[in-house]
Amino acid sequence: MKLSTKGRYSLQTLVYLATCRENCSIRSISEATGISSGYLEQLMIPLRKAELVEAERGVQGGYRLARPDITCQEVLSASEGDFEPVPCKGCERTDACKTHQIWALLQSAVVDFSKQVTIAELASHLVESEAGGGI
Amino acid sequence: MEGPIALSIVAQRQKLSEKYLQQVALLLTRNNFLLSVKGSGGGYLLSRSPEQIFIYDVLDVLEGNIAFEELPQGEESAIERSIRLHFYQKLDQEVKKVFEGLTLAEVTKAEWFTYVI
Repeated sequence: MKLSTKGRYSLQTLVYLATCRENCSIRSISEATGISSGYLEQLMIPLRKAELVEAERGVQGGYRLARPDITCQEVLSASEGDFEPVPCKGCERTDACKTHQIWALLQSAVVDFSKQVTIAELASHLVESEAGGGI
Repeated sequence: MEGPIALSIVAQRQKLSEKYLQQVALLLTRNNFLLSVKGSGGGYLLSRSPEQIFIYDVLDVLEGNIAFEELPQGEESAIERSIRLHFYQKLDQEVKKVFEGLTLAEVTKAEWFTYVI
């Protein structure tokens, strides 16, 4: 299933932020993830709007997670919009359509599971397997 | 089983473009979900009974790989690996579980969605 680069990169960015003790500059996030600074700035706009990350100005400034319990679903919903495998909205046949139910089933499976996985959990696996290495 | 159904009829009934349906039908024929019958009175048939057609397999073909997990192209960072193994891979298993055993036959029954939702 195609998740956009925006969604995939946003997840990476937040997992990295979860490993940081202090505010992270765009530059350090870029070095850790390989995502360009310009693109990171773009990714941060919806993430800040959704209050998943906070930014601080100044010498000690940078980005940090707004709270520890952020889920993958919140990140994807902020960066990608609602996950809708098929745009059924506005279709006159929705009620009668059998395939609509399949897409609804797929959508709820993805959304429900994404709500169960937290960014913190993904970051903790990172520390276990790599002892902080590679980041 | 009924005889072959022409795409023009499907297009009319489902209010879909026939051109678009041709592309879908081609994909479904290539992947052995449909049989194409040529000639007058021709059209398309299911290649096997609806009890033997799994919805997950059809979605996989139509979506061009339903999996979220993408295998690493070259070097994979620790962050990418963690997200792949602990999110995308599990998400794929979850989707598979939801669709497990669900066949075309069940979906075409009217009462289907009353017990899944």
